[in-house]
Amino acid sequence: MIIKFFALIRDYTGSKEISVEGCHTLRELLNKLCSRYGKSFSEKLFAGDRLSEDIIILVNGRHIEHLKGLDTGLEENDEISIFPRIAGG
Amino acid sequence: MMFGWTGKLLRVNLTDGTIAKEALNIEDARKYLGGRGLGTKMIMDEVDPKVDPFSPENKLIFMTGPLTGTLASSGGRYEVVSKAPLTGTIGASNSGGHFGPELKYAGYDGIIFEGESDKPVYLYINDDEVELRSAEHLWGKTVFDTTDELLKETAEDARVACIGPGGELKVLFATVMNDKNRAAGRSGLGAVMGSKKLKAVVARGTKSIKAAKPEEFLESCTDARRKLKEHPVTGTGLPTYGTEILVNILNQSGALPTRNWRDGGYFEHAEETSGEALVDKYLVKNKGCFGCNMGCGRVTRIPDGKFKGFGEGPEYEAGWSYGADCGVSDLAAICKANFICNELGIDPITMGSTIACAMELYEKGLIKREEIGGSLNFGDADAIVELTRKTGLREGFGNKLAEGSYRLAESYGHPELSMSVKKQEMPAYDGRGVQGMGLEYATSNRGGCHVRGYLTSPEILGIPAKLDPLVTEDKAGWLKTFQDLTAVVDSVGICLFTTFGIGLKEISDMLRGATGMDLSDEDVLKAGERIWNLERLFNLKAGFTKKDDTLPERLLKEPLPNGPGKGKVVELDTMLKEYYEVRGWDEAGVPTGEKKKELAL
Repeated sequence: MIIKFFALIRDYTGSKEISVEGCHTLRELLNKLCSRYGKSFSEKLFAGDRLSEDIIILVNGRHIEHLKGLDTGLEENDEISIFPRIAGG
Repeated sequence: MMFGWTGKLLRVNLTDGTIAKEALNIEDARKYLGGRGLGTKMIMDEVDPKVDPFSPENKLIFMTGPLTGTLASSGGRYEVVSKAPLTGTIGASNSGGHFGPELKYAGYDGIIFEGESDKPVYLYINDDEVELRSAEHLWGKTVFDTTDELLKETAEDARVACIGPGGELKVLFATVMNDKNRAAGRSGLGAVMGSKKLKAVVARGTKSIKAAKPEEFLESCTDARRKLKEHPVTGTGLPTYGTEILVNILNQSGALPTRNWRDGGYFEHAEETSGEALVDKYLVKNKGCFGCNMGCGRVTRIPDGKFKGFGEGPEYEAGWSYGADCGVSDLAAICKANFICNELGIDPITMGSTIACAMELYEKGLIKREEIGGSLNFGDADAIVELTRKTGLREGFGNKLAEGSYRLAESYGHPELSMSVKKQEMPAYDGRGVQGMGLEYATSNRGGCHVRGYLTSPEILGIPAKLDPLVTEDKAGWLKTFQDLTAVVDSVGICLFTTFGIGLKEISDMLRGATGMDLSDEDVLKAGERIWNLERLFNLKAGFTKKDDTLPERLLKEPLPNGPGKGKVVELDTMLKEYYEVRGWDEAGVPTGEKKKELAL
């Protein structure tokens, strides 16, 4: 699966896009990313056990709020996008 | 004595050159607040809605709000109001920068221009001294040159609002620019200014604005500013990336309209045209308007190459119209085209969207090479720059583009290829993938407008709460609230982007502190609803009906080919029926007697 990072998330990961295997849920994937990118990334992503309000995650373009949140199941060809909270108009 | 408002207006008759000062009607100020609301009320009272926008009977109003020029967070805004040439609806366009505050410091809430001058003129306001001066030496000059010259011949610390060649030549989407790069951008109000041979308004003011309850007011402003600083969007996101930050999230959501909305909501080159790319490649620094902590403006430089240039922007919708909508991936070309729009004084959203329409017409064989002066395929970076220049100067094929996409497409027998509503082009959010935006486009009082009912905020960004963009439930109710609150913001004189971090309460607190008026939060929102209904009534009198509350066929009949919204069209019928109900309008979309009474209309 492809993981894409946007805006200042890229400052934490040092990359725009990576490929990952073997994660069956979003929670698993995020834990894997936190191990890879360290404490500051982890603190950005999570507020305690829950996803931070300042993070937007899409799975194949769908916001996880309309899927199953952190328990959203993932498949090998999925594309996951991670944004900080942004806006414009 | 008035607080917040100055209590004084200027009325300038361009036909006979007379200038009068008149008192602001306090009751109108209370009901319509200022800015967009008050300007619209005056147009409604003084202009026949069926008038030709370019006739001397149309009026052009510059109106600030009670919070403009005060310590209110991002309190730098003013509105330009008239009957709009592009759409024939009421036209009201909002701008930032520093011009609005300067007008207040000179002692005026607003200016009403009537009639038409026989020679180019500009208005110079220097506190109590107000005079019309010849602008013959400025006619034909760009926005930047005009501004520089006027500052030399009036005062270096004055502020200038002006038109470029676009307005002079009555390009139907000409802008009123102030402080060089800020725009009252949509619907062609710059062309009304040009039709009156009014080249510029220069304001210089040394007075002050008084708050009715200074301590309360200061506290409310400090509270608002603190909240805005702490919020990730207004405190970090917008200052760092500007509005172009939206490109990638709309693209990933499958709602970035591509190639005249023909190719669905996914643009394969979105990353190259994004806010991140702009920061990496061409951003010099960010820039703010009067009184703003956010500083979302972009100062941009293309250092070399054929698109070399310097200026401000692009903003998201302008970047989209030249980028995904035209299929162009070259960010330098997009920036350059945007610079030219600011220089010549035309709206980049309509411009890019009109070029995209022309590209589709060309690829379908409906426009010939000879007419354009070359090919015009999607993706042509040179063309977006060259055709922008030609349009602003009404040269060659640019003369046709200057009429906007609807009249262009109609002249080739295919008006359905104009991605517009009420003849104004819809920006950057595909309603098939963001259903609430579809409803906003169909119902907005100035046609295809994204900003007055910005449901993208809850539907894509999750602010203030997350709505599902693919469903129609609840969208009508949410839209009414957003439209009403935006009308408030556009009328009191602060920036709409503050509403990512503060809400009705904070805005009403500042309004009460500044003006001393005892308006509850509900009264303030009611004023917004009143303004929305007033605009609707103007449009109905101008001849618009329910059948104009619609969308291009593409959005109603061609399913999205890709993305999470694949297979969807805009389910407008369902949402529109509910919308009329929540608005308290009848089935024809007309405000009922009961609703008008409730709003004291």
